Amino acid sequence: MKRAGLAWPAFSNGHVKEVPMGEKTVQYKGTNQKRSEFIWGWLFLLPTMIGLIILNIIPIFQTIYQSFFKTGAFGKGNVFIGFDNYTKMFQDASVWQALLNTFKYAIVEVPFSIIIAIVLAVLLNRKMRGRTIYRTIYFLPMVAAPAAVAMVWRWLYNSEFGLLNHLLNSIGLKSVNWISNPNIAYISIAVVGIWSVIGYNMVLFLAGLQEIPRDYYEAAEIDGASGVKQFFHITLPLISPTMFFVSVTRIIGALQVFDTIYMMLDKTNPAFAKTQSLVYLFYKYSFLESNKGYGSAIVMLLLLVIMLITVIQMICQKKWVNYN
Amino acid sequence: MKLKKVIVIALASVMTFSMAGCGSQTSESAAPAADSGTEAAATEGTETATVSPDTLTVAVWDKNQEPGLTQIVNDFTAETGIKAQIQVTPWEQYWTMLEAGATGGSLPDVFWMHSNEITTYSEYEMLLDLTDRISSSETLDMSKFPKEIVEIYNYDGKQFAVPKDYDTIALWYNKTMFDEAGITYPDDTWTWDDFADACKKLTKEDGSQYGYALKPSNNQDGWYNMVYDMGGEIITPDRTKSGMDEEGTIKALEFVSGLVKDGYTPAYEVMTENNPEALFEAGKVGMITMGSWMLAELCNNDYVKANCDIAVLPKDTATGRRASIYNGLGWAAAANTDKPDEAWALIEYLGSQKAQQKQSDLGIVISAYEGSETNWVKAYPDFNLQAYLDMTEDMVIRPYSKHTTVWEDMISEKLIEAWNGTKEVKDICAEIATEMNADIAEE
Repeated sequence: MKRAGLAWPAFSNGHVKEVPMGEKTVQYKGTNQKRSEFIWGWLFLLPTMIGLIILNIIPIFQTIYQSFFKTGAFGKGNVFIGFDNYTKMFQDASVWQALLNTFKYAIVEVPFSIIIAIVLAVLLNRKMRGRTIYRTIYFLPMVAAPAAVAMVWRWLYNSEFGLLNHLLNSIGLKSVNWISNPNIAYISIAVVGIWSVIGYNMVLFLAGLQEIPRDYYEAAEIDGASGVKQFFHITLPLISPTMFFVSVTRIIGALQVFDTIYMMLDKTNPAFAKTQSLVYLFYKYSFLESNKGYGSAIVMLLLLVIMLITVIQMICQKKWVNYN
Repeated sequence: MKLKKVIVIALASVMTFSMAGCGSQTSESAAPAADSGTEAAATEGTETATVSPDTLTVAVWDKNQEPGLTQIVNDFTAETGIKAQIQVTPWEQYWTMLEAGATGGSLPDVFWMHSNEITTYSEYEMLLDLTDRISSSETLDMSKFPKEIVEIYNYDGKQFAVPKDYDTIALWYNKTMFDEAGITYPDDTWTWDDFADACKKLTKEDGSQYGYALKPSNNQDGWYNMVYDMGGEIITPDRTKSGMDEEGTIKALEFVSGLVKDGYTPAYEVMTENNPEALFEAGKVGMITMGSWMLAELCNNDYVKANCDIAVLPKDTATGRRASIYNGLGWAAAANTDKPDEAWALIEYLGSQKAQQKQSDLGIVISAYEGSETNWVKAYPDFNLQAYLDMTEDMVIRPYSKHTTVWEDMISEKLIEAWNGTKEVKDICAEIATEMNADIAEE
């Protein structure tokens, strides 16, 4: 993380100065090499940039544009209606409920997926038998198709025929409506999210852990620090850059939750109104009711919320992220 | 070191996967730029690698019908030499897929149409106009199809689809449970009151067995029928106003949600997590109302085969009416297909008496073609399929308007509170009617 973070500004500083000079003539000594570096640098960036522009940046502006229209079917017959979609959205109680649902989901999913992943990473970051096997097992959910994962969990959770309730009943407990009780459903969905993402977070933390020099631990051991103390005073501060990265990406990911909700809950589910996320609402309006203009307005709200949270995180990182 | 390698490989493979995902997305989003048919066909090709450019793509949503339809399409290929391949997309994703295809100019060549969506597709000229081809056809006779179904697919005097089938609703019951409870099997004398009474008797106190199961979204195969029996309606015949706040409609919804409140159905939560047919097949409920399109699913289930049979729907005591909501799919073709003649040949064949007869004989669905249903009854000899045909005596076309899905989904969502019993049915119906009228006005 750290190196990547430093390399970027250095590179961009380099070329910002270079652009006006390079364009005119090759006046300066040694610029030949710089110029070729510059060209090659951009050449290597090109595939990513083209991808980003075509798949992300252009669609973002199209979405903004579309959110001011009452859209016809199949992208034809759009009528400009100014801010009507937005005023409708601000009065729409289901949008605010969905925003709240999305936050509830994120508040459960993000902390747990990070904490569990750190603990697992620390436990697996030492010499032990079958280490690679464990790492593979924890990473596997990440490789499985999200839709398939959701289908399997849906059956586990089924209130009538599901394995979880079967186990509960066999030890004499009552059945729980895992995905149809409005107070529990979002947690059940978040558990699937946590389960799916732990392996990925763990791999990132493992990479972070391996950057910590062994000397620190050796020195701490000589001073008589216990394992727990080492963890809190050496490990945690030194992987804080990784933690920052993971929490930023995870929060963004969690706020975009859609597939598990879509796959696991029926639209007549009594918990649905208290569980559906903003992205689900976006999907509903854009693709089920083919009201793409309103769907775009909803997704703009999500974009705004995500940007706001990410900016706050960027500001707050100075307080706790230790770049050593 | 080893770990790093593993991570590198794992990440690399994840990235390739996601890039592959992006790849197919690009080709889809790039399609709008290309208006030539060959480009569209190329896009199709990337989605299903096996389809060669001279093969017609045929999109359907019911996997139960796929084996039978494949036989019919193979007959077509043998007769004409035109190849066609059926692709199944489940109902939940079918319309999203089709809309994306229509927007991107890469619709399948031939596909199923539904009364919910036909107006949008014909209004925006996404469908091949079949009017002239039909009138000059020798094998296709539109007068042999039910008039109302032909009408659904007629927009501004142009015919955009050829009827494929029609469906009615009937009552499925579990004979074993009826015997055990000492109730006589349902027949054409049954009223909805008898039905409610049977629900009560079939329900066991320990929660192992219930009378009936129905979701708010089971409209066509469920509460719509009761609404019309009890003198209500969903939408006025001229499709300009909601009928959801009419007396008969409220009565029917009070009746059906009353069954849930009285505990004659499994808990609402259980019903939303499991479809009625799943509960029926698991021996959880004694009765369900089901459309004829579900035959392949239910008749091939071992438990259902051993224990269950079919009867006509009950009638209403007061009105004496026994209505069945019915609907029929249509075969449509894409307006921008590069093989319009081949696509038409297929549709013409599928609408011919021969293919329609075969569709009925195989028990796939009740074919729309007049007189073809006689063999359909014999498709599953263990069951009284005649009940579905008896339901044709009083049929109501499935309520639709221009954007049916918008208000239909809204109704399903609002009715959760009726099924739950958290709100008065009357109030919910008033709310639904207001919103539905607004939706219709906006169309």
